Amino acid sequence: MKIDVKKLKEIVGEDNVRDNIADLYVYSSDASVHSSKPDAIVRPGNVKEVQELLRYANKNKIPVIPRGAGSGMSGQTVPLSGGIILDMKRMDKIIEIRPEDVICKVEPGVINDELNMQLKPYGFFFPPTPASGKICTIGGMIGNNASGIRSVKYGATRDAVIGMKVVLANGDFVTLGSNTKVDSSGYQLAKLMVGSEGTLGIVVEATLLISPLPKFRAMGVANFATLEDAGKMISNVIAAGITPSMLELMDKVAITAVNNAQNLGLPDVDAIAVFECNGMVKEAVEYDMKRIKEICKRNNGTGIRVSDDPDEMTRIYEGRKKLFPSLSKYSEGLFTTALADDMAVPMSKIADTVHEIHEIAKRNNVVMSAYGHCGAGLIHTKILMDTNKKSQWQGAKRAVKEVYEYVQKVGGTTSGEHGIGFSKGPSFKQEKKDSLEMMRAIKKALDPNNILNPHKLMDSPDDWLTATHLRYQVKP
Amino acid sequence: MKIEKKELIFGVVYLATKNKHLKKHEKEMNMCIRCAYCFEECPVIKETQWDTDGARGKIIMSYGLLAGELEPSQYIADKLFRCTFCRDCLDKCPSKVGILEIISSARADLVEAGYASDTHKHVINNIKNTGNIYGDTEVISQEREGKTPLFIGCQYLGRPNKTKKYIKILEKLGINPVIENEICCGYPMEVLGFREDFEKHKENFQKSFPYKDAITLCPTCTVFLREGYDIDAKHVLQVILEKLPKADLGTKVTYHDPCDFSRGLKIIDEPRKILEKLGVEIVEMKNSKENSRCCGGGGGILMTDQDLSGNIARKRIEEAIETGVDILVTSCPTCEQVLKKAAQEISETEGKSISVRNIEDIIWQGLKKGAEDS
Ligand SMILES: Cc1cc2nc3c(=O)[nH]c(=O)nc-3n(C[C@H](O)[C@H](O)[C@H](O)COP(=O)(O)OP(=O)(O)OC[C@H]3O[C@@H](n4cnc5c(N)ncnc54)[C@H](O)[C@@H]3O)c2cc1C
Ligand code: SF4
Ligand code: SF4
Repeated sequence: MKIDVKKLKEIVGEDNVRDNIADLYVYSSDASVHSSKPDAIVRPGNVKEVQELLRYANKNKIPVIPRGAGSGMSGQTVPLSGGIILDMKRMDKIIEIRPEDVICKVEPGVINDELNMQLKPYGFFFPPTPASGKICTIGGMIGNNASGIRSVKYGATRDAVIGMKVVLANGDFVTLGSNTKVDSSGYQLAKLMVGSEGTLGIVVEATLLISPLPKFRAMGVANFATLEDAGKMISNVIAAGITPSMLELMDKVAITAVNNAQNLGLPDVDAIAVFECNGMVKEAVEYDMKRIKEICKRNNGTGIRVSDDPDEMTRIYEGRKKLFPSLSKYSEGLFTTALADDMAVPMSKIADTVHEIHEIAKRNNVVMSAYGHCGAGLIHTKILMDTNKKSQWQGAKRAVKEVYEYVQKVGGTTSGEHGIGFSKGPSFKQEKKDSLEMMRAIKKALDPNNILNPHKLMDSPDDWLTATHLRYQVKP
Repeated sequence: MKIEKKELIFGVVYLATKNKHLKKHEKEMNMCIRCAYCFEECPVIKETQWDTDGARGKIIMSYGLLAGELEPSQYIADKLFRCTFCRDCLDKCPSKVGILEIISSARADLVEAGYASDTHKHVINNIKNTGNIYGDTEVISQEREGKTPLFIGCQYLGRPNKTKKYIKILEKLGINPVIENEICCGYPMEVLGFREDFEKHKENFQKSFPYKDAITLCPTCTVFLREGYDIDAKHVLQVILEKLPKADLGTKVTYHDPCDFSRGLKIIDEPRKILEKLGVEIVEMKNSKENSRCCGGGGGILMTDQDLSGNIARKRIEEAIETGVDILVTSCPTCEQVLKKAAQEISETEGKSISVRNIEDIIWQGLKKGAEDS
């Protein structure tokens, strides 16, 4: 594949194209374990430039990989067969905020938290709350259908996207969806774009539903001697019709990691649940918290604490917040890898799944911790291992396979939040085996030359481990 | 092509020592999960918007150099020297990667591979030849007999009037500083990648400043005396706060936290308490204290990338102007210099003005006013 860098520079300007080996190397990875170099990086500044770039790439059958902050954990922006990385961060305008219609319109390079900062004076916020919200772009959130700790109440990005402007593979420009919350006008193509990981079109504008900022908030924590009790508590809360704004679980490995690294003195129990309710009416929030407390007690919860004091709430959340850095310091020589990181299972299966994850980790000589937005059925895990050791990668590969087999057995899904990329390709293809051809037909209709983020989702390689280089000094 | 023996020896030695500084960070680099959290407030990536310019990009390039997947080049050196050492990424990194140590080591390897900039070489030679960054044998500390060791540092040595003011303040507060014929602490050697020179310089420094504790004037020297020499360095503002009498200056200012204070030494309250004691009201900028924004003057970019440095500084001045006050106070001579220049440019181009002053001026003014009032 020969890329005409001069032509790219004509389209977007000299300063917005890079092909130095150092830049290509930096853009060869994201937050996943993989690495593969692009041939050029291009930063379009407007829709016309995106259209021209795609016309050029389509004519010359050059892969184009849209990229926001590159914080995806499954290799979504790793260019498996080279091509052009389309860095969308320059298109970062908030086009309009319409509180009266409860919507806003933004370009794809807008950072999630920046949008929230601009919405705050209007008394609104954009509800999907990915932990990476301080740096991730709306385009990337749309690509992955991102969500976060508040998904239990507000849903994921797909629930908040109602309209979109998209440049297709051939450079055509289309407007999808509407400006209204309800829309029964045929195929919901804007929603289809959400979670398509840059394989169907380049999002150049999005119409988003926004929510009023809640006036009251309270937070609580409870300890459980067994995972079963914690799991039951979570199911019971949701089944009771309570809609917490957060319902999180930390397992024993996670608790130990936080204690080892931060000396927070969390109790030596099998599970800790952290919950939050928010709303416009104080009494309603208090009522829901009271009910959650009762459910915790019924399920043998101990050390139950509830507070609406901001400092106390920060303290309660501290353990959960410090979990991530703690994991990377869990044990000398073990490093955090983003593998099998965000499956979702039916609520009643949470405890069993976490148990099984621990067994699988033990069997395969890696460390796995489980935590996450269990109120939405979402379990995060991280595999901790010596990333320079070949045998550890083989163990990790087996562990990933076994975890997903179990998740599918209990009726869960491969990714609840972070997307598929190609790290999760094998499990995704297994899970969705009878709809893969449908997906391929949609892809072919919109991108017949297969230039948009190829080799991802249904077209991902069968072996994630050997699909391309790992970004570590090891050849498994 | 015939290879000269000398070249061959150089080649063998170079290969044997290649990346010797980065080698010790391999594990640390594996801890980087490439999450990009370090983008959040990095002043450089905010300006350029290229991933290569953020901490993640720098760690990835360093890893590439160590792994042999990238070869040292001027391009990579330019990128690795584009960092103000503002420490913001250290605060944001969830994995607590030692980002600045890795960048320093990458710089050291690049310098040893022959990619030092002429400007940086010039400064280092100045230190080696004259003991200060200016290369001026006239720039010397006025030795002074006294009790408490005071380390002045190059930035204040080059600004003798400011130094005198601090000494007068200390005297007035009953502190009797002893001043040696000091030489540079060597921080520029470490931060600009001249590690071999620093190792030699270290010994000379310790001879010229043989103390275990000291009062310091410059925030960066304070950090470096602590981290590089294990000297119990106390910044002069910490000392002043303990002894400063009250005054009523009745002014309103905004305060810019130098990065080595806000994120390095966590000296956040002391300057504010001093200003409060002097009857100065502080109107905080949108980003202040731990979240203070960099002035653009650190890490060597002031010497090699003045446009970038100026753009960062102008953003900070815009923020200061947004507070609606007329005076911006800071406590670092480099911040003062960079911000003054930016303020002047903004005043000329946009007609908006703010005056930039160093905190010692305000303290001196307060002491004089206090004396007059009583
Ligand atoms: C530490 C950490 C914590 C995280 N926490 C969460 C979390 O809580 N919840 C969560 O959901 N995710 C999380 N993630 C994953 C990731 O950060 C998010 O999914 C995020 O939304 C991705 O945004 P980005 O800008 O980095 O996108 P990128 O990674 O750059 O891209 C993501 C996908 O979107 C596509 N894309 C980007 N821009 C466009 C566009 N304009 N048009 C079409 N396609 C586009 C890309 O091709 C890619 O397939 C986390 C990641 C890390 C490293
Ligand atoms: S120290 Fe500051 S300038 Fe350097 S990479 Fe970190 S945030 Fe960016
Ligand atoms: S924040 Fe830390 S872990 Fe994340 S990319 Fe930056 S250096 Fe790496």
